[in-house]
Amino acid sequence: MENRKIRILISKIGSDIHELGAFMLLNAFRDAGMEAIYTGRYQSPAGVAKAAVAEDVDVIALSDHTGSMPIIADFVIQELRKLDADDIHIIAGGLISTDDVKKLEEMNVTGNYTAGTPLDEIIEHVRKVVRA
Amino acid sequence: MKKDTVQLDRHAGGLVRWATQGHIEVKEFYTPEDVADHSYEETLGDPGQYPYTRGLYQSMYRDRLWLKSFIVGYATVEETNEAFKKYIAAGMNDLRIGGDLNAQVGLDPDHPSAFNSISCAGPTVPGLYRFEKILEGIDLEQGVYELGDASPSSCLFRYSMLLALMENQEKDISRIRGNAVNDPIRSKLVFGIRDFTTEINKRICLDFIEFSKKHTPKWHPFSPNGVDLNQSGMDAVAEVGGVLALGEAVCRELQNSRGISVDEFGPMVFSMDADSDFFETIAKFRVARRMWARIAKEKLGAKTERAMKLKIGIRTSGLSLQEQNPLNNAARITLQILSCVFGGVNSLDSSCMDEALGLPSFEARMFSLNAQHIVTHEANIPMVADPLGGSYYLEWLTNKIESDVTAYMAEMEANGGIFECMENDWLKGKMLENRRKVQKERQDGKRLIIGVDAFKYPEGPINQAIIDSAYHAPPLDVRMKVLAELKEFRESRDPEKLKQGLKAVYLASKHGENVVRPIIDAIKAGMTLGEMVGVIRLGYSLPYDNLNQIDTPEYVKVMLKEAN
Repeated sequence: MENRKIRILISKIGSDIHELGAFMLLNAFRDAGMEAIYTGRYQSPAGVAKAAVAEDVDVIALSDHTGSMPIIADFVIQELRKLDADDIHIIAGGLISTDDVKKLEEMNVTGNYTAGTPLDEIIEHVRKVVRA
Repeated sequence: MKKDTVQLDRHAGGLVRWATQGHIEVKEFYTPEDVADHSYEETLGDPGQYPYTRGLYQSMYRDRLWLKSFIVGYATVEETNEAFKKYIAAGMNDLRIGGDLNAQVGLDPDHPSAFNSISCAGPTVPGLYRFEKILEGIDLEQGVYELGDASPSSCLFRYSMLLALMENQEKDISRIRGNAVNDPIRSKLVFGIRDFTTEINKRICLDFIEFSKKHTPKWHPFSPNGVDLNQSGMDAVAEVGGVLALGEAVCRELQNSRGISVDEFGPMVFSMDADSDFFETIAKFRVARRMWARIAKEKLGAKTERAMKLKIGIRTSGLSLQEQNPLNNAARITLQILSCVFGGVNSLDSSCMDEALGLPSFEARMFSLNAQHIVTHEANIPMVADPLGGSYYLEWLTNKIESDVTAYMAEMEANGGIFECMENDWLKGKMLENRRKVQKERQDGKRLIIGVDAFKYPEGPINQAIIDSAYHAPPLDVRMKVLAELKEFRESRDPEKLKQGLKAVYLASKHGENVVRPIIDAIKAGMTLGEMVGVIRLGYSLPYDNLNQIDTPEYVKVMLKEAN
C-alpha cells in the first residue's frame, strides 16, 4: 500500500449551492497527485458515507457554506459508523465559526478551513492526516 | 541597542493591472477622439429617450428614487416577520421574500437530502401554513414584493402562495406589485437544480407569465438573472449577453406559443450584479438598457415605449465580500451602491458587511440602507440624471462593452441559442474558463483582494464585533421543530380536498393547460412545494422524487389512480 495514491471524496450535503470551493479543491488535490472525486451537490449523509466506502477513500472533505458544519459532520460520522467505516478521516471547510471549530475538533474533524486558506496548506494537511 | 529602521517605498501599493475586472484593456486616458464615431442622439439620447442609455426617465431619481430592498429571511417565521416590520420602519419599501435553501431547490424539509439545510438562509416555508406567518400584519395590496427564488418552480410556488393568501383575506389580487426572477437558465446553469427538466422549466416560466399578465397586471413575472451568472464566474460581457439573450428568447416564445406580444408583455426587468469594478459596472447597466431597447424595437417589433424600457434590479456582489478584515466590506458595499446610482438602476438590494460570515445582522443591514440615504441626502448624487454621461472614458467603455456583447451573443446564436448553449455546456465552458482566468490572476498577484491577498492587518475589536454579530445557522432543535410542525400539518389536511387539488395540478401538467390556477387552489388545500414538484413531474411521466430517494406517497398514488 506504500505507493497508493491518496483517495479523497469531496462532498456537499444538503441544498447549499456554493461549490466554487469544492471545485477549487478538486483541481488542487488532483494537481497534487491525489485521486479526488466530487459528489456534486444535494447529497444526503447516508449517500456520502456509502460513496466513501464504495470508492475506498482515505479522506472525506466536507464543504458547506450554510454554517451547519457541526450538524453535517455529526450525521456523516453516524452513517460511517453504521458501515463500520469510521476510520475514514473527515476534514471540513467553508463557512465555519470559531465555535464550530471547537465542536468539530471534538468530533475529530480536522482542517476546518475558511475561505481564502492557501491551497498548499490544505494539501499538506491531507497528507499529514493520511500518514498519521 | 540598535534602533529599528523602516524602508520607505515610493511605489508601495501601486497598480498591478491595466484591465478592468472583466479583462477589458484600458488606456491611460480618453479623449473626444475615442467616442468620435458615435452620435449623441443614436447612442445616448436624453434621459427618458430611446435608447435609454442615460436612464428610463427624464427626471430620473427626482420623481422616483430606486427601490430599496433586502432579502429578509431568518431561521424562524416569527423572526422574519419581525425583521420585515423593522426594515419597513427604516425606509425599506421592496420586500424580498426568500425561503430556506430547500425551498429554493424544490425540496420539502422532510426529504432525506434536506435536513442539513433546514431553515438555512431563510425560513422553511413548505406551504401556506408557515408563509402566512411571515407576512402577518403586512398589507399585501401595498408595497412591492420580490421573489428571487432559484428556480421557476420555487418562484411560481411563492407567487401562488401570495395570491392564495390574498384570496383567503378577500383582497384584490390584481393590485399586487412585484417581481419574480423565474429564470430557467440560471436554475440549471448556476444552481444545478434537478427538480424539473429544461422543457418543464420553460413551460412553467411561460405559464407564470401568461397567468400574471391576465390576472396581476402590476406584477413582473419574469426577470432574467445576471447576478448569479456573474457570481459563478461570468464576466460583465457574458452577464449582459446572457440576460439579453434569455429575455429575447422568452419574448419570442411568448409571441409564438402564447400569442402575447412584446408590447403586451410590457417593460422588461433584469436582475443584475453590481460588482467591484466601478466604471465597468456603470457601463454595464447603460449597455443593458441600450441593447434591450434595440432588441425590443428592431428584433421583437415593439411599438410602445413601455416595451423598450428595461428596468434594472440589483443585487450587489456577495462574492466580493470577504471573511478576513470584514470592516473593509463597508467600502466595497458603498462603492457598489454608488455605481448603481450612477448607472441609473431601478431597485437595489445591497449586500451587508457581515454577509461573508453568516446572514446579515440588523446593524449591518442598517449600514447598507443608510449608505443609500447618505448617497441621496448628504452626497446629493441622485439630483441629476446620469451625471457621468459624456465622460470620454465611460462612453468609450459603454460602446466597447456593447460591441463585445454583440459578438458574444452572435457566437451564442451560432451555437444554437441560449437554451441549446446551456444543454450542450457551451455556457458552462465560458463560465469555467473565466473563473480559471480570475483564479490565475489572483495567484499571479495581478488581481488583489484587499485584506486577503494584500494589505492585511491584524483584526481588532471592530472586525471581531462584525464577525461575532453575523446571524448563524439554526441549531438542531429549531430544525427538529420544523419537521414536527410539518408532520402535524400533513396530518391535519382534509385528504379529499388535497386529493382534488393535486389532481387538478397533475391533469393541467399532463394536458398542457396553464398550471397556475390549479396550483393556487391546491396550495389552499394544503399542497406543499415538494408535492407540487412531484405531481408536475408525474404529469410528465417522470419519477415523483427528482433525487430518487423517496417513493411516491400513498395519497398521491391514490390520486393518480383516480386521474388516469
